Amino acid sequence: MASLEMLPVVSGTKDGRFAKALIYVGSGILIVAALAAIFAPLLSSWGPKEIDPSGTLAAPGGEHLLGSDGNGMDVWSRVLHAARIDLGIAVLAVALAVVVGTLLGLLAGYLGGWVDDVLMRIVDIFQAFPTFILALAVSALLGGGFFNLVITIAAVNAPAYARLVRAEVRTLREMQYIEAAKTSGASTLGIMWRHLLPNSLTPVRVIAPLNCGWAMLTLAGLSFLGLGVTVPTAEWGSMISLGTSDVVAGRWWTSVPPGLALLVCVLGFSLLGEGLQERADAKSRR
Amino acid sequence: MLQIEDLSVVIHRPGRQVAALSNVSFSVAPGEVVGLVGESGGGKSMVARAIVGMLPSGSHATGRVGFDGDDVLRMDAAALAHHRGRGAAMCFQNPRGALSPTRTVGRQLIDRLVTHQDMDGKRAAESAKELFAAVGIRNPSRRLEAYPHELSGGMAQRVMISLATGCAPGLLIADEPTTGLDVTLTREILRQFRHAADTDGRGVLLISHDLASIAEVCDRVVVLYAGTVVETGPAAQVLRHPAHPYTRALLRSVPDVSGGRAVATAGGMPLMTAAPHNCPFAPRCAHATDVCRETRPETKALSSGWSLACFHPQEEPLFADTVPSNHAESSGHAEPGRSAEAGRVVLRVQDAHVVYRSRFGSGGHHALRGVSLEIKAGETLGVVGESGCGKSTLAKLIMGLVEPSEGSVEVAGKSVRKQSRVERTRAQMVFQDPIGSLSPRRTVADSIAEPLRAAKVSTAERTKKTEAALQRMELDSSILTRMPHELSGGQAQRIGIARALVGQPDLIVFDEPTSALDVTVQAQILDVIADVAADAGHGSVFISHDLATVRGFADRVVVLYLGRVVEEGPVDEVFDNPQHPYTRALLGSAPRLGETRTADVELVKDLDEADAATGCALAARCPFVTDTCRSQEQTLQPYGESRAACWRIPELPALIGKSSS
Repeated sequence: MASLEMLPVVSGTKDGRFAKALIYVGSGILIVAALAAIFAPLLSSWGPKEIDPSGTLAAPGGEHLLGSDGNGMDVWSRVLHAARIDLGIAVLAVALAVVVGTLLGLLAGYLGGWVDDVLMRIVDIFQAFPTFILALAVSALLGGGFFNLVITIAAVNAPAYARLVRAEVRTLREMQYIEAAKTSGASTLGIMWRHLLPNSLTPVRVIAPLNCGWAMLTLAGLSFLGLGVTVPTAEWGSMISLGTSDVVAGRWWTSVPPGLALLVCVLGFSLLGEGLQERADAKSRR
Repeated sequence: MLQIEDLSVVIHRPGRQVAALSNVSFSVAPGEVVGLVGESGGGKSMVARAIVGMLPSGSHATGRVGFDGDDVLRMDAAALAHHRGRGAAMCFQNPRGALSPTRTVGRQLIDRLVTHQDMDGKRAAESAKELFAAVGIRNPSRRLEAYPHELSGGMAQRVMISLATGCAPGLLIADEPTTGLDVTLTREILRQFRHAADTDGRGVLLISHDLASIAEVCDRVVVLYAGTVVETGPAAQVLRHPAHPYTRALLRSVPDVSGGRAVATAGGMPLMTAAPHNCPFAPRCAHATDVCRETRPETKALSSGWSLACFHPQEEPLFADTVPSNHAESSGHAEPGRSAEAGRVVLRVQDAHVVYRSRFGSGGHHALRGVSLEIKAGETLGVVGESGCGKSTLAKLIMGLVEPSEGSVEVAGKSVRKQSRVERTRAQMVFQDPIGSLSPRRTVADSIAEPLRAAKVSTAERTKKTEAALQRMELDSSILTRMPHELSGGQAQRIGIARALVGQPDLIVFDEPTSALDVTVQAQILDVIADVAADAGHGSVFISHDLATVRGFADRVVVLYLGRVVEEGPVDEVFDNPQHPYTRALLGSAPRLGETRTADVELVKDLDEADAATGCALAARCPFVTDTCRSQEQTLQPYGESRAACWRIPELPALIGKSSS
């Protein structure tokens, strides 16, 4: 009753259309970013690690579209090529986190008992630290490199999925269709795989895109501090870090373009996530 | 007082449009109880919302909702706020959901009185107590301190009524006030509405899908179908000699406790996208002619106050052959196949106890206290009792979903504890919530074939058996690829039954299989179940709080009360000649159409689980209680072919005679 409006004569609902717009804009941004990453070599005349000895800190325009940095590398090309690393690590890390977290959540939520206790205490330990501090610690332990970063970022995000899925499973397991499956002789694994998994993923679908955005920020943060991807590999966080001193000297073009690229991509993930959330809400309201 | 004229409501949603109400007109006078009946989708709740000015967003209303001379549809916000508190007040279907869970019910009531009636705190507390007493709440000052979760369903509904009547509204609207309540309570709550109309001269609009239960308290009845009023008239007229085919279908869909069987009407209610141009009931109507399919019938008056919208008013009596000729039918029902296999026991429950341990500390809830049952193949056992008596626990126990803390359960000769996964499928269950018992992201085909999957049946064989089960349910095989949310309740329940049948089990447990369905769909499903239960190959347990549906096809019946069997025996003997006071009370409060009831036993108080501790469990509610009852546990005593657990049975007829005279 509470969600009903009190007006007898009114217009149609806006929720559905708003959600759709968010999803379109968000995924539009991400598709453009992904295309830029894929076709980066075609879109830039310089290589990402190619050094132009004659043009360190060249201003935008001329030979370098967005100028060049302190090492004489082309900023435009590096911004494009960095999208491969940033998007790639973020998406892979979140995918890994979803798989691992969901699995742990399923086991803990459905089996309960000591399995639940042990798994959730481990999750507690992970969640006891601020995400970024934990990421710092794990990456210091594992070292840099593409796959180590994927593992680092997945490790800090997986506990949240474990908790989310566990909570969902704990309500789902009391449902009549689970009882029906039990009385139909389904095995424990069968119930988890065939019934609990597909039904517990709804919130995960909403959180995962938002999470990709945060993962990019974590990665950029690590690289900014020199723990993630290091120069000369093109990565937005390390590029921003490299350019900080230039900005003070008035040479904005080394830091601002990677910063903007990061902002736009995170925004894309956020909008997509918001849109999915909005759509799920609109559905449940009906 | 309330005068609805030509009210139409169209709801616009992106991509679709629903004509929720089309040209609805009726009125409610002060002191009158008007019943608004029909199945879900008929527009009952929409009428209620229109009256309090709370139509859903996107709706467009035309016509007039006249209330004491004003039109609710054209009120501004301030007038509406005043109208809602004092003009028309609403009692919701789910009273616990409508009460704020974190504040005591007394606080909620007193606050309301202070804001709307300009009372000071002390006077409000006084009148709160009076209001509680007026709706039959014993010990009102103690109940005022209670939080909603501490109240039973019936108590919560009483609180809701007192909240609604608190501001002395002219009109009380009750939206399905007794859904989910037991027969004994339903009667009690409906009386409260009658009382509100009689003593305070209020108008009462009683919305219900269940014609029979509101029959007793209504003055007039309005029947809705697909957003149109099909019949209006005095309750006695409409309920006993209805003329509209839909009203008749509705009434015939309800099985009668004295043995009358439900007659099913095929089809379901259409969803209207615009005001109908023909008779919306025509596709389901046996009397429909071309006129019905082409033109919409006008509402015509038959006699004073009785009108209907139909070209072919029916006149012959509603139940032509319902006099307990059912006996012959039900004995003919026992086919020869039955006796042949009659020796095979498919379920044996011996002295089973179930205790739900509370998670913290030592206490626990003793849900079953020594139940023994035996079912042979081809036999159907009915299990009845109020909610909280242990019916669902019994079902879970049989299915192996809960473990007995004492005693044993054997399905097809094998203890439930020692079953393998395949043996588990020997007992199948049909659940109460048809859609909720189907996995939301699995297709219908997947759901039906689930028991076969466990039994390692090959894919080809699975498809074949699934199709066969589907055919028996009279469903088209195109439904196999659909998802549960695309199904209607009736279809979903047929799928549930198909799933139970597909592995040819030894036992099927039906746990309230029709209570979540609409009345005419209920009758269709009951037909299907009666057919399935008559199979000689398996035994059936039919659990229901509705005595009439059990009577329809059970061979024997067990009456449960607080985890104990209080009476058991052949269904006709127990229902025609009940012995135990509890059974008598249950049967006495079961709704009957067309008769004035004489309840010979009336229970006092509501069911309370704490009563089960010592002596006879019914002692606290039984009008014939003695000290012996309070101290001694009762065991089942044989009478005729039945048994009942009450030591005063021989004296009861005399006692009942005394109390009623």
